[in-house]
Amino acid sequence: MSDKTSFWLTWLSELEKIFKDKEVLLVVFGGLIFYALLYPLPYKESVPGQQAIAVVDYDRTHLARQLIRMADATPQVRVAARPTSFAEAETLLASGEVHGLLVIPQFFERDVYLGQPTHLSFAGDASYFLIYGNVVEGLLTAAVTLTVQTQVISSLMKGENPALIPGQVMPMQMKTIPVFNPTSGYISYVVPAVFVLILHQTLLIAAGSLTIKDRARRKLGLQYSSLVLTLPMRLINFVIIYLLFAMIYFGFFFQLYGIPHAANPIELLAFSMLFLFTTTLFAIWLGYLLPRPELVIVVVLVTSLPIVFTGGFVWPVESLPTWIDIISYAFPAKAGIQGFLSMNQMAAPLSSIWREISLLIGLCFFYGGWLVFRVLADQRSFSKTT
Amino acid sequence: MPSANTWTGWRALKEHPWLAALVIFLPPLSALLFIAIFASGTPHHLPVGVVDLDHTAESRLLIRKLDAHPSLDMRHPFASATEGADALHRGEIYALLIIPSDFGKELRRSTSPKTTAFYNSQYLLAGKFISSALMQTSMNFSAEVGVALRLGQGYSLPEAISAAAPVQPQITALYNAGMSYALFLVTSITPAVWQILIVASTLLALCWRLERAPLSSRFNERVGEILELLLPIALILWLQGILFLVFYFVFLGWSPEDNVIWIVFAMALKVLAIQSVGTLILAIVGNKISAFSLSSAYLAPAFAFMGMTFPRGDMNSLAQFWGNLMPSTHFMELQVAVADHGAPLLTFLPSLGWLAVFSLLLPLAIYRLPKQLEVNLKERISL
Repeated sequence: MSDKTSFWLTWLSELEKIFKDKEVLLVVFGGLIFYALLYPLPYKESVPGQQAIAVVDYDRTHLARQLIRMADATPQVRVAARPTSFAEAETLLASGEVHGLLVIPQFFERDVYLGQPTHLSFAGDASYFLIYGNVVEGLLTAAVTLTVQTQVISSLMKGENPALIPGQVMPMQMKTIPVFNPTSGYISYVVPAVFVLILHQTLLIAAGSLTIKDRARRKLGLQYSSLVLTLPMRLINFVIIYLLFAMIYFGFFFQLYGIPHAANPIELLAFSMLFLFTTTLFAIWLGYLLPRPELVIVVVLVTSLPIVFTGGFVWPVESLPTWIDIISYAFPAKAGIQGFLSMNQMAAPLSSIWREISLLIGLCFFYGGWLVFRVLADQRSFSKTT
Repeated sequence: MPSANTWTGWRALKEHPWLAALVIFLPPLSALLFIAIFASGTPHHLPVGVVDLDHTAESRLLIRKLDAHPSLDMRHPFASATEGADALHRGEIYALLIIPSDFGKELRRSTSPKTTAFYNSQYLLAGKFISSALMQTSMNFSAEVGVALRLGQGYSLPEAISAAAPVQPQITALYNAGMSYALFLVTSITPAVWQILIVASTLLALCWRLERAPLSSRFNERVGEILELLLPIALILWLQGILFLVFYFVFLGWSPEDNVIWIVFAMALKVLAIQSVGTLILAIVGNKISAFSLSSAYLAPAFAFMGMTFPRGDMNSLAQFWGNLMPSTHFMELQVAVADHGAPLLTFLPSLGWLAVFSLLLPLAIYRLPKQLEVNLKERISL
């Protein structure tokens, strides 16, 4: 048999392993499409809507009603209940009917116009942070708008120089502008990173379990092809199949969900290849570590949430304990998520993500080197026994 | 019932190291891991770039005030907006503050100078945190400057103070006074991780059992066999759940409003619920690896559907429906109602009901379970 035919036969047999294995097909072709539809599902609305709040109005004046109308008009909150007492408001909060509370004290209007300090109490349900943030943002906006109005009115009534009023009302202004995800949408926040994780995790299951089955057949003497040829073929096959899915994910599905994708296509392709190459090596390495295919799924299941929360897109890496930050780079997913987010979402050129690129190359050498040693050791012991 | 069944859950734990790891070691280890991840409570010292085009005492004072905020690290100066923007693109800084030239002059002249901060909203949590820290600190700075300005214009001190900030908002974070992310996230993530460990251990135990000896064909005996296998594991997993509550209490300062007995009771129901759906999945597909794959497709995304991060009320009905199919969703609703809101029984009774309903699937699942699973040595290195 010539080298050329054995080359093609190995390649075909490797392809066959993927396309004749129902379990691998289920994960790769079924799983990738299913997850791409399922994961974004909770965030279809993308920006949380108006949260229900209760208002306890002890003042019952024109100014108090104006404040309530202003709060209701913000995009973050809607006034859903007007309980007459604080105790009643607490019951509404406990049952989850409202998630926020505004208490307007007695003599609110009088104090504001007399220029006496007065307090407005806001409360938000901090069991849900996003809801809390929205409630507080909405109520603050309403309160600040009202304050500015009353300050302008009272300054004018006092006959002060109109040129100085802006500085008196607001000595300085701070405008904060969101960039890269201009609507602060949840879907653009979660999905780009989770998509990288889905590619990573399904690839681990597919290539990892396939490797274990291949080892089992070799052990029984049902498979002879040279590993030196087989493993690179497996690597290439998975990288090609997953490149296709990476294009569907970062192209078609990003488009479908209206997620910004700013990366240069050639650079994105190059980084995707590196990421998938590293991940497949990691998968095959796992396949050599674990004895049974279902254990790869167990490992993937157990590591998913830790990868999400150490990946840096939810919880800033600066706030992670250093040892956790370092250990979590063992998963190609972490450098992958950060690299893809920088390129696709933050329009960073390939040259500025050299850190992620070198991390992935480092992991390639680590897992690849380990595999080479392992395969050579196996072959030596195999030739000794035969 | 014949006492011949030696394939109990206790034996499975002894003979199957992976099962023992999932049931005994991983639950406390993963809870501690997440406690360690969020140990800082709230994000600290997030890097923010500054382009100071003014270079006056006033602009430097503003930067110092901002830097004093525990969440902000303002020691990243840039000479121009372009350089700062590059750093923002590279992810070196999470936000970029631009102080215009004439900031100091306009502040003294009382013409309300405008500063602008661009924050990275791709990293939504860090971005929003920085945005609100910048707003809050600059409002305080503004109020102080306002007092100074008015004193200069001949106001008395109390007049100046009340005129600068006539309405003072007092903001209370109900149920999590310190706004600790550790408390918020650990108490939501741990139940999701626990759910994954429960389903994985259920499948491992069932496969271990079915690969070693056939189940009885008589339904009554079969139920006994499966219960003897699953209940010891359920007991340990339930105790792990109680251990999580101890961890929350010791490490996170968790202080439940209402009686935790309800949570402990719901934990027992949750373990049985997940064991039941795990058994049902294996019964339906009748194949080990497909059962693992389907369970992961079903329960791995559970955290997203629980509604702790993105509210359930704002999800579409399909997402709400899918969330309802997962025990963790109902458990979290109950945990929030009991531990945070101190809600009356009537509020969380539906969640208890939902959790109990899942267990009704168990008899059906046991009935449909394959009698035995074949050990395919072509697919595994060891038993």
